[in-house]
Amino acid sequence: MANYKKYGKMLAAGTLLASSLVLGACGKEDKTATTSKKESSEKVDLHAKADISWSPILYVATAPTDVVEKKIEEATNTNLTFNWIPDATKDERMIASIASGELDDIISIPQTLMTNSSIRQALKSGVFWDVGKYLDDYPNLKKISQDRREASSIEGKLYGVPFQKDFARGGVLIRKDWLDNLGMKVPTNLDELYEVAKAFTEKDPDGNGKNDTFGWSDRNELRYGSFKTLASYFGVPNGWAVDKNGKFTPEFETKAYKETMEYSKKLYKNGYLDKDFAVTSKDDQLQKFAQGKAGIYAGLISITQLKNMAQGINNKIEIVPQNKIAGPDGEYRIWSEGNGVNGLLAFPKSAVKTEAELKRVLQFVNDLINEDVFMLMTGGIKETHYTIDENGAYKILDNPLWQKEVQGFSGSRPSEITYKLKDADPDKQLVNDMISENDKFSQMDPTVPLESQTRTERGTELDKIIIDATIKYIMGETDEKGFDAAVKTWKDSGGDQMKKEYEEAYKKANK
Amino acid sequence: MRESTALADDQQSVLPDLEKNAMKKRARARTLAGIVRNKWLYIMSLPGILYFIIFKYLPMGGIIIAFQDYQPFLGIANSPWVGLKHFVRLFTEPTFFMLLGNTLLLFALNLFIFFPIPIILALMLNEVKNKYFKSGIQTIIYIPHFMSWVIIVSICYVFLAQDGGAVNALIASMGGEKVPFLTDGTWSRIVYILQVIWKEMGWSTIIYLAAVTAVDPGLYEAAKMDGASRLRQIWHVTLPAIRPVIITMLILKIGHTLDLGFEHVYLLVNSINRNFMEIFDTYVYTAGMKNGQLSFSTAVGLFKGVVGLILVMGSNRLAKKFGEEGLY
Repeated sequence: MANYKKYGKMLAAGTLLASSLVLGACGKEDKTATTSKKESSEKVDLHAKADISWSPILYVATAPTDVVEKKIEEATNTNLTFNWIPDATKDERMIASIASGELDDIISIPQTLMTNSSIRQALKSGVFWDVGKYLDDYPNLKKISQDRREASSIEGKLYGVPFQKDFARGGVLIRKDWLDNLGMKVPTNLDELYEVAKAFTEKDPDGNGKNDTFGWSDRNELRYGSFKTLASYFGVPNGWAVDKNGKFTPEFETKAYKETMEYSKKLYKNGYLDKDFAVTSKDDQLQKFAQGKAGIYAGLISITQLKNMAQGINNKIEIVPQNKIAGPDGEYRIWSEGNGVNGLLAFPKSAVKTEAELKRVLQFVNDLINEDVFMLMTGGIKETHYTIDENGAYKILDNPLWQKEVQGFSGSRPSEITYKLKDADPDKQLVNDMISENDKFSQMDPTVPLESQTRTERGTELDKIIIDATIKYIMGETDEKGFDAAVKTWKDSGGDQMKKEYEEAYKKANK
Repeated sequence: MRESTALADDQQSVLPDLEKNAMKKRARARTLAGIVRNKWLYIMSLPGILYFIIFKYLPMGGIIIAFQDYQPFLGIANSPWVGLKHFVRLFTEPTFFMLLGNTLLLFALNLFIFFPIPIILALMLNEVKNKYFKSGIQTIIYIPHFMSWVIIVSICYVFLAQDGGAVNALIASMGGEKVPFLTDGTWSRIVYILQVIWKEMGWSTIIYLAAVTAVDPGLYEAAKMDGASRLRQIWHVTLPAIRPVIITMLILKIGHTLDLGFEHVYLLVNSINRNFMEIFDTYVYTAGMKNGQLSFSTAVGLFKGVVGLILVMGSNRLAKKFGEEGLY
């Protein structure tokens, strides 16, 4: 028996040794990458030539070529190294790189990862610099609004520069040519929207004599499908409602949420909503719209993509965006994604070692928001990738070339809101205007800046309980009693705890 | 274990110490001589042994994070120890029994419906006398194995969707009610096992076909002389001959009880059929990996591994009891 124990110990020791060797090796590599910067640590010259490495998220299929990168380097006086992280594998990649200690000077942490338990723990335990007090020293970073700073901080600390974006991109896209065929006008309230969905299904809007169309396209999630947008119209709070006394109510315990479910259920039962939405992916949903099966789509920003997809299969397609659908009380509302913040640009202390280095990197981030760099990351090089026409409107010259050399950068712009471009495509410009207009009536999620241990540990599971129950309700697979039972399960599995944690955090923040 | 210690005790009492030592020495010398004599065999096996140590045994050390609150930036050495916290969470989770039930049910489908099919198919193929026809069929039924689950599930989606799906269109044209193949719980399970059969049926016949070709043709001749029909020959000659292979495959299959193919099931699970289709693998992905809870995921993985090990050992023992060879 004693022998077994000894082997066990040896095995454990061996494992530790091996893993520490692996970690050690990674650490070393990292050091050599950053030594070049150390020399500049005595005197801070904010514009001195600097080597900066960055792990941005790649939201498109392939990384952009270095044509634009060179221009950005020139404009910011830096030598840049981009280590792109594909969007699909960002969770694993990010955790693995934190574990290995092999971190770049700048790490892009997208909003969806801010609630990831490992990432959040790393942020809270000081792996990254707290940059809150530095922001006001830089002209562009100074302009980051207090709301956005609050939305992206954890327990009052800002562990990076927030990615700024529009507050809300919600709205609906409707087939304009179908509306015209049926002699209908663009809907402005929920009842009219219902009538449009009905007519799109029953009155043969494409005039081919076949019953092969339906109103709403939708997909297997509530948030980015049709449901959350409809819920906003009905007056459902964005995630949570908070009253004067600091009492939190989850959105699905409001009357408006049940009204939305009832509305969607009616759509589904009559076939005005995609019968297969519960098993439809985003791509399939886009396809169904582009192919002319469905006529209504939730989400304004997809207009360009839908038009591109329809090329060649459905050239007649005309789309009208609409962001103002009045609720039962006549008010406009739309939910805000991340309260205008799309994650953080964080600076790990293991790579950015001194305050002086941090200041140089912050200067770089600040410079990225300068108009010339912003244009480089948005449109690329003027007259090569894009042009500004006689009306001052922005136009991409060669779409494939732009996709290859520029598009990858556009998802990593620290601010999408500092400059407004006039788009040469009138539909696109209309969408841009609507998104700006949404600011006026966008609904914030009060829990974005708040800390909840339960949310970080089991938020995804808890969400799943409610999502499943809601979809079942819409499909008529469960009734109100079944839904209430799911809400009870949610409460018992941690929902109540989460609510308590939010209330406490809210109290602490608003003292 | 108990037997061997008892034996050692016996020896101790019977043999004087001196003689025992001498015996030990002789035994050691014999082993050493054996190693020297077969040194090339040992050297040849070295890469294999190293492979197992480096890629299979050393990584097992990572299991200890199941007993920690592992934080990637702290590493294994500095993460706090939490004992059995993650296991307690797993077993007290309200969904635990649902997960276990679903996992076992899908496994049962695999075992009772899928498992016999390749055997029957191999026996049928074996009876085909035309060589070209046989190898043609074989090639065709092997192909699905090389397709990924994404493709197979997507094909099924196109066929089975309620809106524009070919199968439902057919049902509707004959005046039937459309069937929610993809969302209904029971139908999802049926679709699952049909997909497994379609993809793996052909590939799994390979090993049985190999076993069948090893049967002594003399046995068939003898059976024929005794007037056995084709069916009789299969029943009394072929099947008993490949029985050891079947048993081995069965034990291996049982060892994979809780490995039902994450990719496949993940693609099939949706909000409506979750209570019927969610299994440990898919649950770990959403609850563990997506939330960055590496320790919890590891704990569930360890639990799966242990259950698998127990089942393999149990079924192996059972096989031996019934006079079969077993795995080891």
